[in-house]
Amino acid sequence: MTRKQKRLAIIGGGIGFLTAAVLLVMFAFSQAVAYFYVPGDLAKAGLAPGTRIRLGGLVETGSLKRGEGKTVTFNVTDTLGTIPVTYTGILPDLFREGQGVVAEGAFVAGSSVFVADTVLAKHDETYMPKDVADRLKAQGVALGGKENIQ
Amino acid sequence: MIIELGHYALVLALATALVQAIVPIAGARRGDRALMELASSAALVCALLVAFSFAVLTFAYVTSDFSVRNVWENSHSLKPLIYKISGVWGNHEGSMLLWLLILVFFSALVALFGRNLPETLKATVLAVQAWIAAAFALFILLTSNPFARLIPAPGEGKDLNPVLQDVGLAIHPPLLYLGYVGFSVCFSFAIAALIEGRIDAAWARWVRPWTLAAWTFLTAGIAMGSYWAYYELGWGGWWFWDPVENASFMPWLAGTALLHSALVMEKREALKIWTVLLAIMTFSLSLLGTFLVRSGVLTSVHAFATDPTRGIFILAILVVFIGGAFSLFALRASRLKSGGLFAPISREGALVLNNLILTTATATVLTGTLYPLVLEALTGEKISVGAPFFNMTFGLLMLPLLCAVPFGPLLAWKRGDFTGVAQRLFVAAAVGLVVAAVYYYVMNGGPVLALLGIALGVFLIVGALTDLVLRSGIGKVAGSIAWKRLSGLPRSAFGTALAHAGLGVTLIGIVAVTAFETETVVEMKPGMTVDAGGYTLRFDGMRQGRGPNYTEETGHFTVSRGGVAVTEIWSSKRLYTARRMPTTEAGIRTFGLSQLYVSLGDPMTDGGIVVRVWWKPLILCIWGGALIMMAGGIVSLSDRRLRVGAPTRAKRPARLALGAAE
Amino acid sequence: MLFWILVAILTAAAAVVLILPLMRAAAPLSSPHSHDIEVYRDQLEEVARDQTSGLISGEDAELARAEIARRLLAASAADTGIQSSGPKSLRSNRIAQLFVLVSLPAVGLCLYLATGSPGVPAQPLAARLANAGEDINILIARAENHLAANPGDGRGWDLLAPIYMRSGRVEDAVAAYDQAIRLLEPTPARLGGYAEALIVQSGGLVTADAQQALKKSLALDPNDPRSEFYLALGLKQEGKQQDALAAFRKLAGNSPADAPWLPLVNQHIAELSAGQAPAGNTMPANPTSEDMAAAAQMDAGDRQAMIRGMVDSLSAKLKENPANFEGWMRLIRSHVVLDQRDKAREALQQGLKAFPATGDQGKQLLALGRELGIDADGEEE
Repeated sequence: MTRKQKRLAIIGGGIGFLTAAVLLVMFAFSQAVAYFYVPGDLAKAGLAPGTRIRLGGLVETGSLKRGEGKTVTFNVTDTLGTIPVTYTGILPDLFREGQGVVAEGAFVAGSSVFVADTVLAKHDETYMPKDVADRLKAQGVALGGKENIQ
Repeated sequence: MIIELGHYALVLALATALVQAIVPIAGARRGDRALMELASSAALVCALLVAFSFAVLTFAYVTSDFSVRNVWENSHSLKPLIYKISGVWGNHEGSMLLWLLILVFFSALVALFGRNLPETLKATVLAVQAWIAAAFALFILLTSNPFARLIPAPGEGKDLNPVLQDVGLAIHPPLLYLGYVGFSVCFSFAIAALIEGRIDAAWARWVRPWTLAAWTFLTAGIAMGSYWAYYELGWGGWWFWDPVENASFMPWLAGTALLHSALVMEKREALKIWTVLLAIMTFSLSLLGTFLVRSGVLTSVHAFATDPTRGIFILAILVVFIGGAFSLFALRASRLKSGGLFAPISREGALVLNNLILTTATATVLTGTLYPLVLEALTGEKISVGAPFFNMTFGLLMLPLLCAVPFGPLLAWKRGDFTGVAQRLFVAAAVGLVVAAVYYYVMNGGPVLALLGIALGVFLIVGALTDLVLRSGIGKVAGSIAWKRLSGLPRSAFGTALAHAGLGVTLIGIVAVTAFETETVVEMKPGMTVDAGGYTLRFDGMRQGRGPNYTEETGHFTVSRGGVAVTEIWSSKRLYTARRMPTTEAGIRTFGLSQLYVSLGDPMTDGGIVVRVWWKPLILCIWGGALIMMAGGIVSLSDRRLRVGAPTRAKRPARLALGAAE
Repeated sequence: MLFWILVAILTAAAAVVLILPLMRAAAPLSSPHSHDIEVYRDQLEEVARDQTSGLISGEDAELARAEIARRLLAASAADTGIQSSGPKSLRSNRIAQLFVLVSLPAVGLCLYLATGSPGVPAQPLAARLANAGEDINILIARAENHLAANPGDGRGWDLLAPIYMRSGRVEDAVAAYDQAIRLLEPTPARLGGYAEALIVQSGGLVTADAQQALKKSLALDPNDPRSEFYLALGLKQEGKQQDALAAFRKLAGNSPADAPWLPLVNQHIAELSAGQAPAGNTMPANPTSEDMAAAAQMDAGDRQAMIRGMVDSLSAKLKENPANFEGWMRLIRSHVVLDQRDKAREALQQGLKAFPATGDQGKQLLALGRELGIDADGEEE
C-alpha cells in the first residue's frame, strides 16, 4: 500500500466505526429509553401494553398496602388521574405516602394496573422528582412547604 | 474573628490568582524571567490561602459554630467528629471550596515539581490554572459563600443527610475531585502549548505525569463511589448509569484516551493536534460534570444542591473556558506541525484504535446523558435514558477495544507484525477459553455470552502478563538473565501490564455479577430459611438498637453451608432521629471474591419481615480490578523518565521534590 | 481592631512573597529548547539501554535513534536561532510591583467588605454553652439536648414551652405544652399556654382543641382570667354575641379594678353592645395584637423576664431624661411589683432629685413611697 492508501484506509475505517456507533446510538434511542408520564397524561397517550415507561406522581395518601406479602400496592396520583401500581420487592427508604415517587415498569395487557420493577424516591426527604414537580406545577397543584423543589 | 479571617483569606486568594493570571503571561510574552517566576510564588501563596480558608471552615464545623450559615445547615453538634469533618464537603458550598482547594493544590504542585519545564511553558501553565482558580473563587464568593454568617446564631444545626453520613462518602468526593480537577493541569498545558504555538514530543512527556496522577485519582474516586452506592443504598447495584456517575465517568474515558495518545506523541511525535484537543476535551468534560452536578439541571440520586443562579454562573464559566479553549484551538492548531507516519498495524495504530473507540464511547455516554435534557428543553418531552441504553451502546462499543488491548503493548512501533503477535497471544487466548470452560463446569452451565466475557477477561490478564514474559525472555533465556531483564524494564511497562490486567479483573467481575447473580425477595419469620449461592440463611429474629444519633432495628441471620453454620449477617434499618429519616444498612458478608447481600424491607402485620437476598459472585473483582489499575497508574508515575527535562540537573538522580522547593 | 491588623498582615505577607521575585536581578533566561534537548537525550539513552538488554533489535534501535536525532537537531537548531534576551528593563518590573501592591488590597478589601461580616466573632458551640448569658438560642438548645436525652422530664418541657412561644416557634411550643401537660399535671397556666399556642398556630382562631383546653383550665380554676378571656373571644368569633358579651361582662366583674386587661375587655364589651345593631357582620373576629398582649399579662409568671426588660429600659430612659414625672411613678411602682425594693428606693431617690420634695410632684413621689412602704431615707428633711 502506498502512503495515501494507508491514510485512506485508516480514515475509512474510522468513519466506518463512527457510522456504526451513530447507528447504534440511534437504534438504542428508539428501543431502550423510557418515556415519562404522569397519571393524567396516560389516558390520552394510548400506550401499547408492555411499553416500558416511567410513571411519576405523588403516592396517594391512604392507598399504600404493605405488610401483606412481598408485593406492595399503592396509587400514584397527580390529582387528574390515579393509577394503581404493584411492586414486588423492597421500597426505597424514603418512600412515603403523600410524597413524590417515580415508578418504572409497564402496564400488563388487558389490565389497568401498572407493574413496576423499579421504584425511585430520593435521598432528601423534601425531594420531589423534577419531572413530577414540573408536571404538577403545570397542573396547578399546590406544593405547600416544599421550597427545595426546582 | 477566625471565621472572618478565613473568609478574607479566600478573597485574598482570588486577588492573588488574578495577579497570577496576568503577570506571568506578560512575562512569557516579553521573555522576562522575573515576571514569570512570580507565577510559582503566587501559586504557592494562593494554595496556602485557600488551604487556610478551608481549614477555618473545617474548624467551624468541628467546633459547631452555628453562626456560620453553612455549618448550621449541614451539621449538628451530636454528630460524630469524622462526619462533622466530612460534612465540610458534603454540601454545595463546601464541596466547591474543596474543588478550588484541589485546583490550587495542583497549581502548587506544578510550581514545586515543574522544575524540568521550560520557564515560559511553566509560567503560562500556571497562569491558565489561575484563570480557572479565579473564576471558581469568584463563583464561590458571589453565589455559594460558605462563610456567610447567621446572626443571631441558632442553638443547634440541621444535621447532615444521614445517607451521606458514611466513611465511603467522606473519602469519595475528595478522590473524585483530585481526578476531575487534576485534568485541569493537562488543560492548562494544552492551552499553554496553543498560546506558545509550539508543541513537540517533550511536551507529551511533561504532561504525562499529570495525566497519570489525575487518572489514578479519578479511577479511585469512581471505584469508591461505586462501592459506596453498592453497600450504602441497599439496592445491591454497583453502577446505575446515573447522570452524576456519567459525569465522572466521561472525563475518565477521555483521560484514558489522553494517556494513550500522549504516548504516541512522546514516542513518535504524531497525533499532536489530537492530543491537545483531547486534553482540552477531558477537562471540558470535568467542567461539564461540575456543571451537571452543581447546577441542579439534573435530578438524580446524587444531586443535593440546587439553585438556578449558581447554575447560570457555572454555565458561564463552562462557556467561557470551553468556548475559549476551542476558539484558541481553531485559531492556533494549524500552526502546530504534525509529525511522523506509521502503518495501521503498529503500536501507534493500536493506540489510535484505542483513542477512536474510547472517544466514541465517551461521545455515546455524553449523548445518553445530555439527550434527555436537550429533548426536554426543546420539546418538553421527558424521557429517561438508563442502563438498557448504555449497555446496548457503550457495552457493544467497548467489546472490540477489550479484544484489542493485549495486542497493543506487543506490537512494535512504526510497523508491527500482526500474525506474530497473534501467535504469541495464542497461549493467553487458550488460557482464557479453558478458564471459561472450567467456570461453565463449576457453575453447571450459564449463558454462552457470559462465558465468552469471562474468557475475554482472562485473556486480558494473561495477555498483559505475556508482554512482561516476552520482554524479559522468561523461558527463553537463563533465569538470572530473565530476572535482570525484568528488573531492568521501565516502570511504565509494569504500569501498563497492571492497568490492563486490572481491566481484565474488573471485566470478569462485571460479567460474573451480571450473568450469575441471584436475587430473592421473601417474607420471613424467625426460623425460616432461604438459599442463595449455595449458602442457607436462617432468619433468627429482630433486635432493637441505638446509635449516637439514630435508632435501629437489626435482623439477625445465620449463614450455613451443608448444614454447618459458617457465619452470621446483621442487616438493619436505621432511623436518624434529628431528621426522622430512615436508611437501610445492608448486611454484607464476603466469601472469597463473592458476597452475600441482605437488605431488610417492611415488617409484616403477622410478625414477619420482607427480606431481599442477593448472591453476588465475584463482585469484589469489579473494585479489585480498579485497585489494580490504580496500582498501575502509581507504578507508571514512579517512572524516572517522567521527570527528565531540567537542563542543569539532568545528570543528577531525580530528587525534584526537595530540589524545586528552594 | 485586631482583625484588621491581621488582615493587613496577611495582605502584606502575600504581597511581599509575590514581589520578591520581581526585586531580584533576574538570571538570564535559559533557552526554551534546552529542556526539550534533555528529554531527547534521555530518549536516546533509553534506546541504548533497551538495546543492550535485548529488548529491541539493533535495526529497530537504529531507526528509533535516527528519529530522535532528527528531533534533537531540530531543537538545537531552533535554539541557536534565538538570541538569549538580555536583562529586561526594570520598568516592567515596577509596573508589575505596582500592580501587585494595588490589586491585592483593592480586590481583597472591596470584595471582602461586599461579602464578609467583619467584627462578627466566631461562636463555637462549646463556648456558647459554657457562657450562655442572654443567648436565647443556646438556652433552648441546651434544654433541647437535655430533653432529647430525658424525654420524660415534664418540668423541662414546662420551662421550654413558653420560651418557644416567645421566640416564635409556635409548633414546638404546642408540642412542648402537650408534653408538659401529659407528664406533669394539667394546671391553668399550662392549659392556658397550650390553648394560646394553638390559637396562634391557627392564625388567631380559638379552635375546638383550644376551647377544650380552656374549659379544662376553667374547671381547675374558675377564676382564671386568661381562660375566660379566650373563651369569650371564641364565642365572639363564633358569632354568639350574647354569650360573648355575658362572658366578657363576667370577666370584667371578677377582675380587680386596676387589672391591666380591663380596658381591653371593656372595649370588647363596648364593641359587642354596639355591635348588637349591625349583627349582620358576624365574621369571626380574630384577636388583635392588643388581645394577645392583654392576655399575656394575665400570665404573670411567664412574663416576668419580659417585664423586667421593659423596666430596665424605662430606668435607662429616665436616667437620660429625668424630667418625666409619670415615668418615675411607674418605675417605682414596677420595682415594687417585681419585689425589688432596693431598686424602688433608689428610683425614688433619683426621682426626688429631678422633682424636689418641696414641689407638688415631689410630694406625690414621697406619698407613693409611703404608700408602698419604702422611705427615701435622708431625703425627707
